[in-house]
Amino acid sequence: MRPTIGFAGMTHLGINSAAASAARGFRTVCFDADAQLTGRLKAAELPVVEPGLPELLQEHGERLSFVSDAGKLADCDVVYIAADVSTDDDGQSDLAGIRGLIGAVARHLAERAILVVLCQVPPGFTRGLAFPRERLFYQVETLVFGRAVERATHPERIILGCEEPSRPLPHPLTSFLQAFGCPVLPMRYESAEFAKISINCCLVASVTVANTLAELSERIGADWNEIVPALKLDRRIGQHAYLAPGLGLSGGNLERDLATVLHLAAETGSHAELVRAFLANSRHRRGWPLRTLHREVLAGKPNAVVAVLGLAYKENTHSTKNSPSLALIRHLQTWRLRVHDPVVPLRAADHPQAMGCATAREAATGADALAIMTPWPAYRELSAGELRRVMRGRTVLDPYRVLDGAALRTAGFDYFTLGAPAARAGGRAPHA
Amino acid sequence: MLEHLNAAATSPTRVVIIGAGGFVGGAIRKRLLADRINTLPLTRKELDLLAEGAGAKLADVLRSDDSVVMVSAVAPAKTVPVVMQNLRMAESVCVALASTPIAHLLYISSDAVYADDANPVTESSCCAPSTLHGMMHAARELMLRSASAAPVAVLRPTLIYGAADPHGGYGPNRFRRQAEKGEPITIFGEGEERRDHILVDDVAALAVLILAHRSRGALNAVTGFSTSFHDVARMVAAQFGDRVPVKSMPRPGPRPHLLHRFFDITNCHKTFPAFRFTPLAEGLAQAHRESRGAS
Repeated sequence: MRPTIGFAGMTHLGINSAAASAARGFRTVCFDADAQLTGRLKAAELPVVEPGLPELLQEHGERLSFVSDAGKLADCDVVYIAADVSTDDDGQSDLAGIRGLIGAVARHLAERAILVVLCQVPPGFTRGLAFPRERLFYQVETLVFGRAVERATHPERIILGCEEPSRPLPHPLTSFLQAFGCPVLPMRYESAEFAKISINCCLVASVTVANTLAELSERIGADWNEIVPALKLDRRIGQHAYLAPGLGLSGGNLERDLATVLHLAAETGSHAELVRAFLANSRHRRGWPLRTLHREVLAGKPNAVVAVLGLAYKENTHSTKNSPSLALIRHLQTWRLRVHDPVVPLRAADHPQAMGCATAREAATGADALAIMTPWPAYRELSAGELRRVMRGRTVLDPYRVLDGAALRTAGFDYFTLGAPAARAGGRAPHA
Repeated sequence: MLEHLNAAATSPTRVVIIGAGGFVGGAIRKRLLADRINTLPLTRKELDLLAEGAGAKLADVLRSDDSVVMVSAVAPAKTVPVVMQNLRMAESVCVALASTPIAHLLYISSDAVYADDANPVTESSCCAPSTLHGMMHAARELMLRSASAAPVAVLRPTLIYGAADPHGGYGPNRFRRQAEKGEPITIFGEGEERRDHILVDDVAALAVLILAHRSRGALNAVTGFSTSFHDVARMVAAQFGDRVPVKSMPRPGPRPHLLHRFFDITNCHKTFPAFRFTPLAEGLAQAHRESRGAS
């Protein structure tokens, strides 16, 4: 008989993981103490934006139940803890919420039930829990906002922290994990907790290298986009390497893991200057839009109007945690803004002179400069000719290369992107 | 990075400038006067910080609602005795601050406090001076921060130029004087070192903004544009109708390991969003006009 799976915490992680569980054929109990939230979920009203999630929930809804009573988890064979672990501005985790949730859930579990911590926690957290170790596990979550369904339904591997990795896993857990058809890697709790941090550190390392070399490309006449395919064909780097330059770390999880590494290094006397360099590079690249706007437009135009497209920290998500767009807007308080995001409401901008616009075109209308701060696919539909007709100025910041830079330059725009030299209309020299 | 204790700019009750007779102090004084801000300028004539009892004398002058600008220095501090003189001057100010509370302290420091290889430099860059001059400013920053119960702001200008600069240091001011005398402008080697040059009026404007916002923390007074000495020399020469040749001279010492210094001025944009730096060409033209007007 197939085990029943429970998920405690209807977070972005919890909802997607529960949907994947149901999609693999398991009866799945979804608990959250917030009755309003579970009520909305029952009515298929999702609190998160995630491509494919509504369809997945609809298709496998008969196996899902949403409850606000933790007692309903008593029938579950395996219960996952999927709380949000919030972080402060320094990336430090607040673990009070997850501890509270585990306490609230654990007392309702059956004697045989397995508890799996699925949240990002620092090494040592799982072993410190007061729960029988033979039934306590930690599983690395690999949620990627905007790709959460794909990641939850088709994981590359499952990393599992255990008390004793050499011991066979208990049947209900094996049965559940094998359904995903990927390698399962048991290891001690601390290794699994640190594996998650290690994965994120490797990703940050790649992105930092990309950011560093992309900035150099901008200044020496190279185009980073031309270089990336050559790197990806190198087997030591690989097709899936994170080589797209960006505007600094955002989303919160990577920042949290770097903070954890620095904390551990400080406690143990390990050398972690590399991690400080990651953070410094992130801060430096985060300032790219503000520096470029000041240099190109704001310094000479105190009354400039700036169009900002996108508020989310990346496309296909509603999350704005450490969003580069909000970081830019925070420092444009004295300028008038015209703002559009397909999902995030204008109030997230928290700007006294920001006007919300229904479309990207409307936002661009009358603007002296346009900054595409989130690469929403819909923005690709903006054409150079259209922008020329509606914009007052001729400056476009397109860090993620959503638009056709060559077409914009031909249409008389100065075009700025990450990883390539500024493309100025008429080939003018940069300001000095 | 600076933090504003006054979110909106507010005129200080009184600004005491220690070192008002100098190049930068004079520019700050001029700017404060233009903004009609009550100012007490102290030159060496009124207050010699190296004199016996200078600290007590300064304490008698200060009031609890004063904003104080400490810009007095014997510069450049290239020798140990000059460094010690500068530290004794700062010690006098510390003595005064220990006995008389004030509202705000602004210290005019230098970008020489940063490590040579800290490119691009930000306010968070490592302070590891490689020169006595830089170490002198770093020590004075620490002394004043330790002595002051009031919020302290530190402004760290890069190479400052302007018509009134009395120093003949390598750069725009020396180039202009050479040209004015009809001499060739001389650059070391090919003059390829790229540095940031800031007009003294911009330093003064930033100082007044810091005073008005009662800011604390550190800010670099830099433009974010680095230009080679060769290009600066050509720009100055052009002001004289290109009659002035630019000549290469052997470097006085070994070629510096690090030829360039760049700054990331994101923090300045965040701190003073409406502030606009004078572009180098514009600033050099202004210095040229003022110099001509004075002669």
